[in-house]
Amino acid sequence: MFATYGPMFLMMLVAITLASLFFIGASTLGKKKPTPEKMMPFECGSDSSGGRHLKLSVKFYLTAILFVVFDIEAVFIYPWAIHFKTLGWVGFFSMTGFLVTIVVGLLYCWKKGALEWEK
Amino acid sequence: MLLQAFAISPLLMVGIGAMLLMMAEAFSKVRGGLALGAAAVCFAGVACAAGVWMYGVETIPGIDAFSPWLRVDRFSLFFDALLCLGAGLSCLMAGGYLPEHNLDRGEFYSLLLLSTFGAMILSAAGDVLTLFLGLETMSLGVYCLAAFRRASARSSEGALKYFLLGSFAAALLLYGFALLYGVTGHTDLQGIGDAMAKGNIRNPMAIMGLVLILVGLAFKVSAVPFHMWTPDAYEGAPTPATNFMAVAVKGAAFAMMLRVLLTAFGDPRSASWASGWPPALAWIAVITMTVANLVAGRQESVKRMLAYSSVAHAGYILVGMVATMHSATQASAGVLFYLLTYTVSTAGAFGALILCGRRGAEAVTYEDLAGIGRRHPAAALPFAFFLLSLAGVPPTAGFFGKWFVFRSAMEGGFYWLTIIAFINSVIGAYYYLRVLVFMYMREPAAGAPVATPMRSGYVTAALILSAVLVIALGLTPTKSLSVVFQAAAIFGG
Amino acid sequence: MDSLLSVFPSKDFSLLGIILAAPLLGAFVNGVWGRRLGRDAVRLMAITAIAVSFGAALLTFLALDREVTHAGHGHVKLAWTAWDWLYTTGKSETQIPIALRFSVDALSGVMMLVITGVGLLIHIYASTYMWDDKSYWRFFCYLNLFVFSMLVLVLGDNMPLLFVGWEGVGLCSYLLIGFWYGKMANAAAGKKAFIANRIGDFGLICAMFLFVHYTGALDWNGIEAGSGSLVTVNEATQVHVWPIGGGQFTGFLKFLQPDSPITITAATAVGLALLLGATGKSAQIPLYVWLPDAMAGPTPVSALIHAATMVTAGIYLICRLNFVFVLAPGVMATVAVIGAATAFLAATIALVQNDIKKVLAYSTVSQLGFMFLGVGMGAFTAGFFHVFTHAFFKACLFLGAGSVIHGMHARIHDDDKAQDMRKMGGLRKYMPLTFWTFLISTAAIVGFPLTSGFFSKDEILFKTMTTELVHPDAERLGKKVTFVQSLWGARDPSHFYVPPAWLGTALYWVGIAAATMTAFYMSRVVILTFFGEFRGWKLGRPSQIDAHEAAAHDDAHGDDAHGDDDGEHHHEEDLTKPGYAPHESPRPMTIPLILLAVFAAFAGILNPGLLKHFGLPLPLEHWLEPLFEESVKVGVHAKEGAEHMELMCTAGAFGAFAVGVGLAYWVYVVQKGAPAKQWAEAAPKLYKLLLDKWRVDEAYEASVLSGVDALADTATSVDKGVVDGILARLTALLVAAFGTILRALQTGVVHVYAGMMVVGLAGLGWFFVMPHPDGHVVEKGSGDYSIVAAPGVGYGYIWAEDGAKKPEKEVFSGTAAFPLHVEPGNTKKVELKVRNAFGIVGTKTFEVTAPAKAAPAEVIEMGQNGHGS
Repeated sequence: MFATYGPMFLMMLVAITLASLFFIGASTLGKKKPTPEKMMPFECGSDSSGGRHLKLSVKFYLTAILFVVFDIEAVFIYPWAIHFKTLGWVGFFSMTGFLVTIVVGLLYCWKKGALEWEK
Repeated sequence: MLLQAFAISPLLMVGIGAMLLMMAEAFSKVRGGLALGAAAVCFAGVACAAGVWMYGVETIPGIDAFSPWLRVDRFSLFFDALLCLGAGLSCLMAGGYLPEHNLDRGEFYSLLLLSTFGAMILSAAGDVLTLFLGLETMSLGVYCLAAFRRASARSSEGALKYFLLGSFAAALLLYGFALLYGVTGHTDLQGIGDAMAKGNIRNPMAIMGLVLILVGLAFKVSAVPFHMWTPDAYEGAPTPATNFMAVAVKGAAFAMMLRVLLTAFGDPRSASWASGWPPALAWIAVITMTVANLVAGRQESVKRMLAYSSVAHAGYILVGMVATMHSATQASAGVLFYLLTYTVSTAGAFGALILCGRRGAEAVTYEDLAGIGRRHPAAALPFAFFLLSLAGVPPTAGFFGKWFVFRSAMEGGFYWLTIIAFINSVIGAYYYLRVLVFMYMREPAAGAPVATPMRSGYVTAALILSAVLVIALGLTPTKSLSVVFQAAAIFGG
Repeated sequence: MDSLLSVFPSKDFSLLGIILAAPLLGAFVNGVWGRRLGRDAVRLMAITAIAVSFGAALLTFLALDREVTHAGHGHVKLAWTAWDWLYTTGKSETQIPIALRFSVDALSGVMMLVITGVGLLIHIYASTYMWDDKSYWRFFCYLNLFVFSMLVLVLGDNMPLLFVGWEGVGLCSYLLIGFWYGKMANAAAGKKAFIANRIGDFGLICAMFLFVHYTGALDWNGIEAGSGSLVTVNEATQVHVWPIGGGQFTGFLKFLQPDSPITITAATAVGLALLLGATGKSAQIPLYVWLPDAMAGPTPVSALIHAATMVTAGIYLICRLNFVFVLAPGVMATVAVIGAATAFLAATIALVQNDIKKVLAYSTVSQLGFMFLGVGMGAFTAGFFHVFTHAFFKACLFLGAGSVIHGMHARIHDDDKAQDMRKMGGLRKYMPLTFWTFLISTAAIVGFPLTSGFFSKDEILFKTMTTELVHPDAERLGKKVTFVQSLWGARDPSHFYVPPAWLGTALYWVGIAAATMTAFYMSRVVILTFFGEFRGWKLGRPSQIDAHEAAAHDDAHGDDAHGDDDGEHHHEEDLTKPGYAPHESPRPMTIPLILLAVFAAFAGILNPGLLKHFGLPLPLEHWLEPLFEESVKVGVHAKEGAEHMELMCTAGAFGAFAVGVGLAYWVYVVQKGAPAKQWAEAAPKLYKLLLDKWRVDEAYEASVLSGVDALADTATSVDKGVVDGILARLTALLVAAFGTILRALQTGVVHVYAGMMVVGLAGLGWFFVMPHPDGHVVEKGSGDYSIVAAPGVGYGYIWAEDGAKKPEKEVFSGTAAFPLHVEPGNTKKVELKVRNAFGIVGTKTFEVTAPAKAAPAEVIEMGQNGHGS
C-alpha cells in the first residue's frame, strides 16, 4: 500500500509544510504597522458600502441553475453527435427522449414564470 | 422492442405520466383534477406491473437488454406495484389534505410522481450507477416534498436537516461504491458479487466499502442511529408527503438493501454469521427497535409517534433481513410481505390522521384526538383499525407480516433476536393502544380546541382502499404470499 | 333435491355459505345500524337471519341424506372451501394448508339443525322476552353472532376453524352473560366464564400443536388418516412429560433427571389436551364452576347457549375426534369418570338450591356429565343422542323458567327473589301452558318412560354397564400394567394401560344415583313452582290505588325488569297487599315452548334403543354409525351377555325415576316439605355444604385464584418497579438526552445528527475491523469431530491442538475446518487464531469432550477474543 500511495503522502506533507512555513513566517517575521486606512476592507479602490451579508435575489440562483442545466445538456449532445451513425436509431430515440424531457422542463419553467425577471 | 417497452411499462407510465401532469399543471388553470390524475397514473402503474407479472416477465425476449443497469424481474415488478400503490394512496390523501390546509399547489403531484419514478429505478437497479441515479432522483423530490409547507419554520427545518444528512449519507454510499469498484473492478452488483465470491479478497478496502454502504442503506431505511432526521422531517412535512416518505421511500430503500446485500455481498464470507453484515444488521435491528419503541411511547404528537413507529418497523424488517443469510428466498419473501402489510397499514393510519383534522385544526397530538371516537366514529374507527394492524393484532395484515418475518428469523435460529423483536412489538402495542385510549376513553380538556374531522372523498377513498387491502391480506394471506415468494425467488436458495 | 345437488355439488357445497352468512349478516346489520333501526326492524332482521339459516340447514340436511342414500354408505361429506387461508409448516418442512373450509356430515348435520332450529325458537321467544330492554339491538347482535360462531365451530372442517368458532362462542357467551353489565355480579360471572374457558382453550391449542407435529394435518380427514402415528412404541417419538419436551437436566439440576424419561403416547397427550378444552367449554369437573354463575345472563341466553348448544361443544369435539380418543383408553376412562363424577356432584348440589335457574344450571352440568359418561365409555351415539334430546328439553325448561320469572316480575322486581321457588307455587292455575310444557320437559329429563330423555339417558346407562374399553394396540404392545404402574412403574413404552372391566359397572351405579337425584330435584322444582298455594304475594283484587300503582309499575318496568341497567333501584312493592296473580306469557313466548315440549316428548323415536327388540328402527344410530363404527370396533368391547342385561339396566333406570319422583312426591306433596326440613336440621353441615355448592368456588378462591392473585400482584409490582421505575425512567432519561440534543438543534446545529451518524459509522467500522474468531463443533461419530470456523472476508486461520508442537513460523491459511479425534471420556483443547483483512489477530479456544458412551458431545467454549498485533 505504501509503495503506491507513499509518494502522494510525501507530496502532501511537503505541500503542507511549505505552505505553513510561508504563512507562519510571513506573519511572524514581517513588520506590522497598522493604520486606519490599511485596516479598511478593500473593495477595488472605492469605499465599501452596506453589510457583509448581502441577500441576493433568488432569481440569480434560478437563472444560474437553469443555465447549468442547459449547459450540461450540451455535454450530452456533443458525444452523441460525434457517434451519431454508430449509435443508430437506439441512440436517436434515446436522445430524443432526453431532449423531450429537457423541453418539458423548459416549458414548465417558462410557463411558471421562472424566465421572467420582472414580475 | 415493443415487448421490451411493455416490460418497463410501469416505469414509462409513471415517468411520462409525471411529465404530462407537469404540462397539465403549467398550462391549465384547473386545479381540482390533479390529485385524481396523479393517483390514476400511480394505479395505472400498479396495473402495468400486474399486467407484466401475469404475462410472465421471464418470457419476454430481450429482457436482458436493460441489464445490468435495470433488472426487470419479478422482484422489481413487485416493488413497482408496491411503490405505485404507496404513491397512489399518498396522492389521494393529498387530494383532500392540500386544499383543506391551503397548500394546494400543483407541483406536489409532479414531485411525488418523479420521486416515485426514482424509487422504481432504485428497486430495479442492478448497477451502482443506476442505483445512485434512482436514489438521488427519489431523494431530491422528497426533500422538496418535506419542505412543501414553505411558511412553516418546522417544515423547512426538518427538510433542511433531511437534505443535509441525506447528502452526507449519499456521499458515504457513493464512497463505498467507489471503494468496491476499486477493489473488484465492477460497478454492476452481480459483478461485484462474483468478485467477492470468487477469491478470498484480502483488501481491507472491500470491507470499508461494505461498512460505508451499510451506513448509507441504514440511513435510507432510517435505522438507529442514522434515524435522527426522521421525526423532524416526518413531522414537518405535510402528512401525505410524510406518508410517502414512510411508505414508498422506505420500501424502495429496503428493495435496494435486499438487492445490494444479497447480490453483491451474498457470498458466505461477507454474509458470515460471526463477522459479516448479518450480525451487524442484527445489532442495528435490536438498537433500532428498542430505541424507537421506547421513544415513541413518550411522544405527545401522534404524527411524531407514527414517525418513530416507522423507525421501529424498519427494525422489525431488519430482523427479516438478518434471516436472509440462511434462507434467502423465504426470509426475503417475509420482508416483502411485511413491506406490503406495512405499506397499507401505515397509509391507512396517516390517512385516518388526516381525516381527523381540518383547516386550522389539524389533528397532531393525542389531546387533539381525545373523545373523537364518540363524537365522530366514522373517522375514529378506521384509525383504530389501522393502528391495530400496525400493532400486529390478528387477524389483520400486520399480524401476518410480523408472523412471517419472525418465523423466518426463528427458523434461521436467531432466537434471541426474535425474542427481542417480540418484546418490542409488545411495547409497540402500548403506544398504538394509547391512541385508542385517547380516542375512546378520554374527553377533551375543557376549553381545548376540539378536532372535527374533514370531509373528503379522496381521503375516504384512500382509507377504503387501504382497509380493504388490510382485511384482504389478513384473511387471505396465501395469495399474496405466493406473489412475494415468486418475487423473492430471484435470490435463489 | 337433485336440482339442489346440481346447483351445489357436494365438493363445493356453497349453500353452507348461506347458512353461515345469514346470522353474520344479521349480527352486522343489528350491530351497526340496530340503534337507528328500531325494535321491529331489529326483530325482523334477527329472526329472518336465523330462519334463512335454518331453512338452508334443512335443505342441506336433505341433500346430505340424498347423498348418503346415493353413496350407499355413510361416509359422505358436503364440503365448501371459502378460500385458502394460510399454510403452516409441519414436520420435515411439509406445508399444512389451513383452509377456510366448511363441511357437513352426519354428526355436524344434526348439530347444525339443532343450533339453527332451537336457535330460531329461542330467537322468537327472546324477541318478546327482551322487548323492553333498552339494548334490544345489542342483544340480538350478540345472539346472531353467537349462532354464527357456533355454526363455524360445528361446520369447520379443521381444527383451527373449530377453534375460531370455539373462541367466538366463548366471546359471545361472555358478552351475553355480562349483558347487563351495570351489575357487578353479572360482569364478574362473565369474567369467570371467560377465565374458565381460557384454561380450556389452552388445552385445545396444545392439541393443535400436537396434531401438526404427529399427524401432519389439521383437517378432520387428515387427522384421521394420520392418527396411526399418534400411538408409537418408540420412546423418542412419544410425548415427553418429564423432562418437558425431552430435554436433559444437567449441572446442579441433575437431580431432576429421572432414570428414564417419563413419556406418554401422543394419543394420550392429545386426548388429555382436548379433554381439558372440553371440560372448560362443557362445564365439567374441574372447570364447571362458571356455568351456574352464567345464569346471570338473560334467560333466553341460558337456554340457547348454556343449555342447548355451546356447552355441548365439548361432547361434539370428542365425538368428532372419536378416532383419536379410542387410541387412548386411559383418556376415555378419564372422560367417563369425570362425566360420572360431575353428574353426581352437580345433582347433589341441585337437590337443595332454591333459585329455579340455579337448579336448572346444575341440572345442565349434571346432564352434560351423563353425556361425557356416554362418550367416555365409547357410546358415542348414545352420548350424542343425549346432546340432541337435552337440547330440546333443557331449552324448554329454561324458557319455561323464563316464562315463570316473567310472570313473577309482575310484582317482584328483584332478580334473585323473582327466581326463588319458595315464592312461587300454584302457578299451574295461572300459567297453564307454561306448566304443561314444563311438566313434559321434566318428564323427559327424569326419564319418564317413552319420552326422549328416557331413551337417551337409559341408552347411556345401558352402554356404560355393558361395555369395556380395550386398547387398540394391545396385541402388538404386549404387557398390560395397572393404573399405578402406568404412572410410576418401570417405564417401557410397550407397556399399556387399560381401564378395568368393573369400571363400567361402577359408573353405572354412580349414574343411577345421579339419575335418582335428578328425578328428585326436578320433581321438587315442578311441585314447588306449580303446585300448592301461591306464596309470592297476597292474591286478590287490588284496591283501586294499588291497581293503579301496579299498572304504572308494569308500564315502567315492563315484562322484564332486568332490562334496566340500573336494576338496583327498584323500590320493592308491599307484597302483603293483594294483587293480581301472575298471568300467562304472550304467544311468541308460549309457541316456542309448545314446539320444544313436543320435541322433548317425542324426539326419542329417533333412537329408541330399548325398544329395538320390538322391531322399531333406529334412524339416528343408523345415521351416525359410519362415523363411529371404526372406533367402536377397535376401542370398545361389549361385555358378554350384554343383550340380556338390557332389561335389567332399564329396570334400574326406571327404578331411579320411580324412586326419585316418588320420594319427591312424598316429601313435598304428601308431607308438605316437612321431611326436607327435618333432614336439613338433622345434618345441618351437609345441608349447608350442599347449599354452598360443596364450597368449590371458595376452594378455588383460596387455592388457584389466590395464587393467581399473588402472581398478578408480583406482576404489578414488577410492572411498577421495572416498567415504571426502570423503563419509564430510562425512557425519560433517553428523552431527556434527546431533548438536550434537540435543544442544541434549535440553534441550527445539525452537526449532532451527523455526529450520531459518525458514531454509528464508527461502531460499524469497529465491528468490521475487529476479527471475530468463532466456530462450531460438528460431530462425525466414533470420536471424530470437526471444528468449523466462521468465515469472513479475508480471513486466515491457524489451528493449534493443545500439546502439539507449535510451528516455527505462523502461517495463516484458508483452512476453515479442523479435524479432531477424541477418545471416549477424553477432552481436547484446540486454539483457533484468526487474522482478518486488516491484519488483526483474534484467538478462541475450543474444548471438545467425548462422552464415555455414545451421546452428543458437550462443547464448552472457552476463551474470549484476544486482540493483538
